[in-house]
Amino acid sequence: VTFRSKLFWLFTLALAVSVGLIAAGVTVVTRQAFEQMYAQHTDALVAQFQREFEQRKQDVARRVQMITDDEATVRMAIALNQPQADVSAYVNVATGDSKSHQLDFLDFVGSDGSIISSAENPERFGYKLDWLTQPEDWPSLGAFLMKVNTQEGPAVGLIAVSTVRVGDKDLYVVGGERLGKNFLASLVLPVGMRALLYLNLDPTFQAVNLIDQSGPVVEGDRFASFIESETRHPAAQIFKVVSGPDPANTEEFHVLPLMGRQKELLGVLLVGSSQQEMVAIEHRIRTLAEGVVAIGLLISLLLSWWGAARVTRPVRKLAAVAREVSKGNWKARVDERGGGEIGQLARAFNQMTQQLSEQREHLVQAERVAAWRELARRLAHELKNPLFPLQTTVENLQHAKDKSPAQFEEVFRESTGILLAEIENLEKIIGRFSDFARMPQPELSSVNLNDIVRGVVKLFEAQFSAVGRPPITSEFHLAEDLPSIQADAALLHRALENLILNAMDAMPAGGVLMLRTNREKAEVHLEVSDTGTGLAPEECERLFTPYYTTKQHGTGLGLAVVQSVISDHGGRISVESEMGVGTSFHIYLPLKPTARPAVTPPVAETREAVGAQKA
Amino acid sequence: MFAVAVRVQTARRPAYGQTLRVDLGGVVNSLDPAVAPANPAEAEAKREIDSLIYERGNPDGTFAGVAGSGPFRISAWDPGKRVTLAANDDYPAGRPFVDSVEFQMGRTPNDRLLDLELSAADFAEIPAEEARQAVAGGVRVSASHPDRLLALVFIAGRPAAQDARLRQALSESIDRSAIADFILQKEGAPAGGLLPQWSSGTAFLFATAADTVGAKALVSQIGSSPALVLGYDFGDSFEQSVAERIAIDAHTAGLMVTAQPIHAGGSTGASGVSPDARLIRLSMLSSSPRDSLAKFLATLQPIAGLDAISLPEAASPEQIYAAERSVVDDDRVVPLAWYPQVYGLSARVRDWQAPAPGDAWPFADLWLDGPVGSVPQKDHP
Repeated sequence: VTFRSKLFWLFTLALAVSVGLIAAGVTVVTRQAFEQMYAQHTDALVAQFQREFEQRKQDVARRVQMITDDEATVRMAIALNQPQADVSAYVNVATGDSKSHQLDFLDFVGSDGSIISSAENPERFGYKLDWLTQPEDWPSLGAFLMKVNTQEGPAVGLIAVSTVRVGDKDLYVVGGERLGKNFLASLVLPVGMRALLYLNLDPTFQAVNLIDQSGPVVEGDRFASFIESETRHPAAQIFKVVSGPDPANTEEFHVLPLMGRQKELLGVLLVGSSQQEMVAIEHRIRTLAEGVVAIGLLISLLLSWWGAARVTRPVRKLAAVAREVSKGNWKARVDERGGGEIGQLARAFNQMTQQLSEQREHLVQAERVAAWRELARRLAHELKNPLFPLQTTVENLQHAKDKSPAQFEEVFRESTGILLAEIENLEKIIGRFSDFARMPQPELSSVNLNDIVRGVVKLFEAQFSAVGRPPITSEFHLAEDLPSIQADAALLHRALENLILNAMDAMPAGGVLMLRTNREKAEVHLEVSDTGTGLAPEECERLFTPYYTTKQHGTGLGLAVVQSVISDHGGRISVESEMGVGTSFHIYLPLKPTARPAVTPPVAETREAVGAQKA
Repeated sequence: MFAVAVRVQTARRPAYGQTLRVDLGGVVNSLDPAVAPANPAEAEAKREIDSLIYERGNPDGTFAGVAGSGPFRISAWDPGKRVTLAANDDYPAGRPFVDSVEFQMGRTPNDRLLDLELSAADFAEIPAEEARQAVAGGVRVSASHPDRLLALVFIAGRPAAQDARLRQALSESIDRSAIADFILQKEGAPAGGLLPQWSSGTAFLFATAADTVGAKALVSQIGSSPALVLGYDFGDSFEQSVAERIAIDAHTAGLMVTAQPIHAGGSTGASGVSPDARLIRLSMLSSSPRDSLAKFLATLQPIAGLDAISLPEAASPEQIYAAERSVVDDDRVVPLAWYPQVYGLSARVRDWQAPAPGDAWPFADLWLDGPVGSVPQKDHP
C-alpha cells in the first residue's frame, strides 16, 4: 500500500467519521427537539381538551339552567305544587325540551324524587331518583359525570342539576349530554390525533365499551391491559400502543380518568397521537442525514484524493529523484518550493544529495589517487625487481671491460642472457597490465560450463600433484543436466584459471578444491571452494579491487579480471570465507545475457575469519 | 248492526254540495270483497268504507251485497291513496246530508292531528294517548266508551309461558295506573279483567294495582334470574311505550324483560328472537259482555293456548265473571288497560254521535256547518 493510498484512506476515514458524527449528532439533537416539541404539542392538546371538557360542562349546566328558567318549567312547577296536581300532563315534556335544548338526557323530577318526565327513559315516570333528594348544592356543583340508565342500557352522561322552588317544594331539572361517539365527534382534534372513550359500565374490560367517534374501536382488546390498569389506579398517565413492526403505527395515548360525583371511575378518555408524523419527520431527518453523509463521503473521497495527491506529490517527486540518484544521477534535485515539513525534507534531501555527491567525488578522487599510487607502487615494485639484475649485469659488463677478452666474452655472454631474460620479464609485466587495460568484450556462443570446468582443472592436475609440494585434491559436483549458456568460453576459461590459481595459493599445505555447478532458475551457479587459510572480512571487501593483493608477488589483477569477465556476461560474483576453514567463490551467470549490465560490486561474506591470499 | 232510520231534512241544515274530508290511517289497495286486507289497519279502513257503500253487514263484521246499495256510492278511486264516495240519492233510508265523503289514506297519527288542527280534515281517528295533546292543539275531540283492551298475552309453547309463577310475577309487577294515566294520558283505565266496568259491571272485582313486593317474592321463588322477551307491534308507539314501561316495572321486581318489536301478525321478533309474550289490542264489537268476551276468547285462545271455555248464549253475569276470572287468574292473558276510540272532528261537523262498539262511523247522519276553525268542543259520552 502506497503512502498516497494510506493518506487517502486516512483522510477519507477522518472526514467520513467527522461527517457521520456531525450527521448523527444533528439527527439526534433534531429528533430530540422534534420529540420535545411534539410532546409539548400533545400536552397542549390534552390541556385544550380539558378546557373544552370544562367548557362543555359549563355549557351543559347553562342549558339545564335555561330549561329551569323557562316560563313553561316554572308554570309546571307551580302546577305540580297544587293539590291533586295532574302529573301525567307533563309526562312528555322532557322529550320536547331535550330536543329543543339539544340534550341527550333530561328529567323533570318532583320534590320527592319521582320522575315526572324523562327524555332518555320516557316510560320511567313515577320512579324515584333517590340520589337527587340528597342534600347537595347543585348550582355550585356544576356539571358532573354520572352513570345514567337509558332504554338502550347504561350510559355515562355529563349531567347538571338545577331546581325550581315553588313554595316549599323543588322541581328538579336534570339534564345532560351522553358521553359517547357524538361527544367525541364534537371535539376538535388536529390531524393525527384521535380521542377514544372507554365507558366503565361493566366490572371487567369490555371492548364494546371502548368507542371512538364512529363507534366501537376496532381491535379494542389491544387497550385492555392499559384500561384495566387505569380502572384499578385511576390517574393521568401515558402509554404507547404498538401495532405491528412498523413504528409509524405506534400511537401514544394520554389517559385521563373521568371521575363521577362520588369519585368513582366512570370513564377513561384516551387522547391518542399517532407517531406517523413523528416517524415521518424522523424518516425525513434520517434521509437528509444519509444524504448529507453520502455527499460528505463523496466530498471526503474527492478531498482525500486531492489532499493525498497534494501531500504525496513532493514525496513522490522526492522518491523519483532518490531513484535517479540511486541510478547514479547525482545532479538530480527535488523542487524545494513550498514550506512546511515537505519543503524542509526536499531541502534536506537536496542538501544530503549535494553532500553525498561531493563526498563521492572526493571519495572517487581519493580512490583514484590511491589506485594510481597503488599502481605506481605496484609498477615500481614490479619494475624494480627486474631493474636490479639489469643494473647489476650492466655494472658487471662495465667491470668485465677491463678483463681479458675471454673473460669478457664469458661475462658478456652471461650478462646478455640475463638482460634478455629480465627484459622479457619486464615485457610480461607490462603485458599483464596491458591485458587488464584492454579486456576484450565477450563473444557469446553456446557453451557448457561443466566442460569449461573440467578442461581448466585438467590443465592444473599436474601442478596439484607436483613433486615437492603438498597435493591438492579436486572434487567435482557438476550438475549433469546443466543447461548451456551464452558465454565467451575463452574468457570464462581465463576467469576460472585465476580462481583456481588463487585457490592453489590459498592452500600452500595442500587441500581440497571443490567445484560445483547447478541451475538456479534462469541462472547457472558455479562454486569454487578451497580448504585454504581463508580471508579476513576487510580482505573480502577489497578482494575485487584492482591492484589489491595480499600476496608478496601478486599484481592484484587476478580477481579483478574475474569480476570483469563475470560482469561482462551479466553475471555476479560473491565470496564467503572463514578464517582457517576456507574460501568459496559463487558465480551466477544468466542462461542468456540480455545486455551488458552495469558493474555490480561483488558481495563479500565472511564466516568467521579471513586468511586467504590473493593472486 | 245498523240502525235503520229515515233522515229528515230540516230548514237549519245547509243545502247540498258539502264534502266530508276524512283521514284514514290504513291504506286500502282494493275494495274487492274477495281480496283480503294485508294488515289490520287496512282491514279496519276497508270496513269503514264498506259500511258506507253496502246496505247490510255480516255478523263477522264484513259486508256483502251490491256496492252502492249503502248510503254512498264510489265516485272516485285511487287505490292506496284516495277514495271519494258520493251520496246515494236512492238510499232507502234517505239520502245522506253530505254530498260526498273523501277519504285520504295512509295518514299517520301526526298527519291526522295536523290536518285536524289546520282544518284540512273534518274527521279522523286519533290515538287515545294523543287526545290530550289534540285538545291542547284546538282539535275537537270525541271519545267512545273505553271499548278497546290492551293485554299482554303469553305465547303458547314458549318456555316462559309454562311457568305460572313467572306469569303471575310479571302480572303483579305491572303498574297499570301508570299506563292509563301517563301513557294513555288518562284517556284509559287500568284493566284487571277482560271486560270494562261499563259493560260487565264486575271489572272492579279484578285487582289492578301493582304488587311489586309480591312479584319480587315470586321471582325469588323462581331462583334463576328469569328473562323473557316481550313483543309489540312494529311501528306502534303506544304499544312500544307500554312494553318498555312493563320492562321497567318487571326489572324493579327482578324480572329481565326485553321489549322487542315484532311484525304485524308474526310471532318472530325483528331481531330474530321469538317473543315469549306479546301485547295485543282487542276491540269490542258489541255492547253485549257475553258476545265481547266470547269474541275475545276466540281471539286469545289460539295465541295463549287457553283452555276451551263455553259461554251459553244467555250467559248470566256470574257465568261471564267466572269465565273472565278463570282466564285472568291463569295469567296467560294479562289485561292492562281499557281505552276508548277517540275521534277528531272539525268545528263544522254537526250531529256527531260516537258509534257504539262494533258500529261504523255514522257519516250518513252528519252534516256540515260553520267556517273552518270553529270553537272545538269535546263530545264525550
